[in-house]
Amino acid sequence: MEVITLTINGKTISCNPGVSLLEAAVQNGFPIPTLCHHPELKPFGACRVCLVEEEKNGRLMAACVTPATPNMVIRTNTPRVLSHRRNIVSLMLASHPESCIVCDKGNRCRLRQVAANLGIGEIRLDPMPSDQTPDQLNPFIYRDLSKCILCGKCIRADHELVVTGAIDYSFRGIHAYPATLQDKPLEQSGCTFCGTCVAVCPTGALTTRSIYVGVPEREVDTVCGFCGVGCRLRLGAVGGLVMEANPSTGIKSVNGTTLCVRGHFGHDYLNTPKRLTQPMIRKEGELVPASWEEALQETARRLLQIREQHGPRSIAFLGSSKCTNEENYLFQKIARSLLKTNNLDNGGYALGRRLLNCIEKRTDGSGRFNFFAGSLSGLEKSDIILVIGADPPQSMPVVGYYLKRGAVDGIPLIVVDPRKTELTRYSTLWLPVRPGADADLIHAIAALILGQKGQDASFVDRFTEGFRGYAESLSALDIDQICDRTGLMRESLEKAAELLSHKKIAFVVGDGVLKQRSGQESVDALLNLAMMTGSIAHKGAGFYIPAKENNLVGAWDMGCVPDALPGRRFVGDKEARREWENAWQTDLPEDPGMDLVQMIYAAEKGALRGLYIMGENPLRSLPQPERIKAAFAKLDLIVVQDILRNETVSNAHIVLPGAAFSEKKGAFINMEGRLQHLAPAAIPPGEARPDLDILASLARNLGDADSPASLEQVRAEIGRVLPLYAPAAASGQLVWIQKGERGGAAIPFSPVRNSVQEKSDPAYPHVAVIDSPRYHLGSGTRTGLSARISALNTHGGIAVAPEDALKWGVSDGDTIRLTSAVGTLKGRIRIDKSMRVGLVSVPLGDDANQARCLIGLTPLMDSASPGWNTCPVFIERTEGEAP
Amino acid sequence: MKPPEIDWQKLNELIESRKTEQWGLIPLLQDIQKIFGFIPPESIEPIADALGLFPAQVQGVITFYAGFSLAPRGKFVLRVCCGTACHVKGGRSILRLVQQDLKLKEGETSPDYQFTLESAACLGACALAPTMMVNRDYFGKLSPPKVAGILNYFGKEAREKE
Repeated sequence: MEVITLTINGKTISCNPGVSLLEAAVQNGFPIPTLCHHPELKPFGACRVCLVEEEKNGRLMAACVTPATPNMVIRTNTPRVLSHRRNIVSLMLASHPESCIVCDKGNRCRLRQVAANLGIGEIRLDPMPSDQTPDQLNPFIYRDLSKCILCGKCIRADHELVVTGAIDYSFRGIHAYPATLQDKPLEQSGCTFCGTCVAVCPTGALTTRSIYVGVPEREVDTVCGFCGVGCRLRLGAVGGLVMEANPSTGIKSVNGTTLCVRGHFGHDYLNTPKRLTQPMIRKEGELVPASWEEALQETARRLLQIREQHGPRSIAFLGSSKCTNEENYLFQKIARSLLKTNNLDNGGYALGRRLLNCIEKRTDGSGRFNFFAGSLSGLEKSDIILVIGADPPQSMPVVGYYLKRGAVDGIPLIVVDPRKTELTRYSTLWLPVRPGADADLIHAIAALILGQKGQDASFVDRFTEGFRGYAESLSALDIDQICDRTGLMRESLEKAAELLSHKKIAFVVGDGVLKQRSGQESVDALLNLAMMTGSIAHKGAGFYIPAKENNLVGAWDMGCVPDALPGRRFVGDKEARREWENAWQTDLPEDPGMDLVQMIYAAEKGALRGLYIMGENPLRSLPQPERIKAAFAKLDLIVVQDILRNETVSNAHIVLPGAAFSEKKGAFINMEGRLQHLAPAAIPPGEARPDLDILASLARNLGDADSPASLEQVRAEIGRVLPLYAPAAASGQLVWIQKGERGGAAIPFSPVRNSVQEKSDPAYPHVAVIDSPRYHLGSGTRTGLSARISALNTHGGIAVAPEDALKWGVSDGDTIRLTSAVGTLKGRIRIDKSMRVGLVSVPLGDDANQARCLIGLTPLMDSASPGWNTCPVFIERTEGEAP
Repeated sequence: MKPPEIDWQKLNELIESRKTEQWGLIPLLQDIQKIFGFIPPESIEPIADALGLFPAQVQGVITFYAGFSLAPRGKFVLRVCCGTACHVKGGRSILRLVQQDLKLKEGETSPDYQFTLESAACLGACALAPTMMVNRDYFGKLSPPKVAGILNYFGKEAREKE
């Protein structure tokens, strides 16, 4: 590319063509004030504050929208330029309320900064106050448009970054303002409360509603503690408490300036009175406060006692997909090396980890690095995107932004979902498949692609084996029969095959597959399709698995799973075991341990006696709570290390208060494989201690005097065997957990297996889908304690199709009762035009996560398992009962 | 009296005919405005869906142009010029006269949906000042008797049509 040269303020500079004057000037050390400019948004030129002068012809130009051209002679600060800038800002201030003293934006107000830098004190213009009244009905955003300067940043962020379109300019001239459709308050508009507009607003027009007004004492960049996207967060702390959360600026991050409602507004749960502040031991049926020493000694004593009496297999450890790598590492080390048990798992089980494990097994452990696409930015560069069983705009909004941006930029998007979701609006093709028939659908599409010779023959030859058998069974498929089973037209399947032929596909696979009946068959079918089309290790192509917990990947990598050691080496692998036996100077158990569901089964049978739970709330997150409670009652010891007084804590024998993500150091790995470091912004409440300290003390109490005590020591120990995970935060290095090259072995195609058809039971004629709504993460243990999210009052909200509502004679807000084979729930209904007839959607997380009562506790891996995502139900109206 | 009934089927056909044509937003809005006399707010979402725009964007375009209205307007839209030339020639008095006669303020529509009164910054017929328009017809060199005559004429026509 040819470089162009021009002169700015007498200095000759060179820059690339296409660069704006603003960028050229700023890069060369000439700051220019801006109000409407944002590096992530398209240049707009609304505020005119960035005016500069071309010396040769005396023209004034807005630097942000003027491309640098050769031989320009630019002045950025002549008296004429400054006088114009002052006029412009004075005019803005003339219609701006004089309420700076009580404005929440305070010193962070860009308008105030720009005015101060230009030396504007008093404006000699008649004030023209706006008559806009603040919109403050919602619990998240305080919207005072009288302070709006019409820079359009909120509108552009809404359209370009999060692609929601809740607001746009309305009216014109002096009457213009950013309006929602029909001027409704935000909570009745399409707004998702991601807060991106708040983050970019240069004035106090959009601010976060908070109990604290003003600028926080200190701000710390860290990583969000909710979902697996791993957004960079800037936490503002006052007096040791987190008071606000904003997207980090100036750091290249997965989220940029965007966040979602949970990340931006849900972190007020950190200050809930339900935080655990001191260790407790159950004495005579009551949890009573104890000292740390007493609690840890008691824990160690009773764990060792159980091992002595019932053997190591009678103890299980439940690690956490919300805790850091280092904590999970130490946790599993305690279980494996000190208590000699492989009975280890983490909450990732409930998020479909077992199925992902199959990918690893099938590809000899290298699957993750070959099939998984890595950086989410790949989605915006891929050939075509296939979203199956996932609704990221609800469950993981930041992934949803990537998908919507890609689709708006013209990347074909195929959505496989029984319901019309927000994504279907942007899709090239929507396949409303019948729930549970995903595997059949994928096979049919693969067969049609094969019919068009749309596969990547050279990839198939080079890297796979068993294609011929696979192709034969595909051609034997009866497409019409599959159309019947999936409830789709042949034309739409053909359209899908046509779109996917000769393309490298980016797969986004969610709960609808990972937690569904026949999930195994569907995952196998998807892998076959990926191999057939060569959608592996190609720009943007491959699998994107929206991990719903922040450290689902890290907890797995660190070995908090029954069948793998740290580094995802299988427990059965002798070499891997020896490596860790050497590192820990001990011998390790070799038989795979029990997973989460097996632990509960074992507790029911009395085979399990002790359970140590760190940062998980199985009584709220797992199906059939009553059954689990009964199983827990049979245990001799339940130790719970957590931050909140939750359902599981109330059933514990010993409670150890830990620290939240905002109060400790450590590292998380996000769904992309990006290793990110935490930085403490607040102080753990009361006597609570960072979890790593607790575990290190426990290890010493269990007799391991050499146990690493500090974060640095733990990290060094991990690094000796797994150097990839060791870099410290200070190195500033962006670390990706990836292995470049493929193993030599060809990847086998798996046989074509149809999905297991659910036998319809006339007693339960309808199907309930368990959905992940935007406002809760998982079972909602944390988001349910957020005052802001609770204030939104999302209770119930069982979505039904209008046709069904008419049939049952119910209307919006009525209460219905759902009964499944294992439980019942009552909730208010919400009539939703996008629902499929015969289907109802129950939101996860709401009302103490009552959705879990409908589902049976079955192993997710089993192909006979009905899955945790849908279940057949019977629906009836309840008369005059409160939900 | 009720506002005119909307023929939803016809509206949907109009919207369908412009499907996926993002550039067709303004022509479509013009058609709807012409046929129905206003753009029903309920139609914003179907329009946005059909054209692949956000509903708020469609609303932004509608509210930007004075030629589009989201509320039902009268059968006769009176636009009295308040531009410089008309102002000098007494345009404001003409506006006051019309207001008194129709008992309407600027921007209002009569309860029987016969008249809507608007003011305009310039109608582009300064030589005829003071001027006003009724729908697409110009009336120039206005005087109080002439205004009374015009209003009487359209008022009668409105009554006769019923």
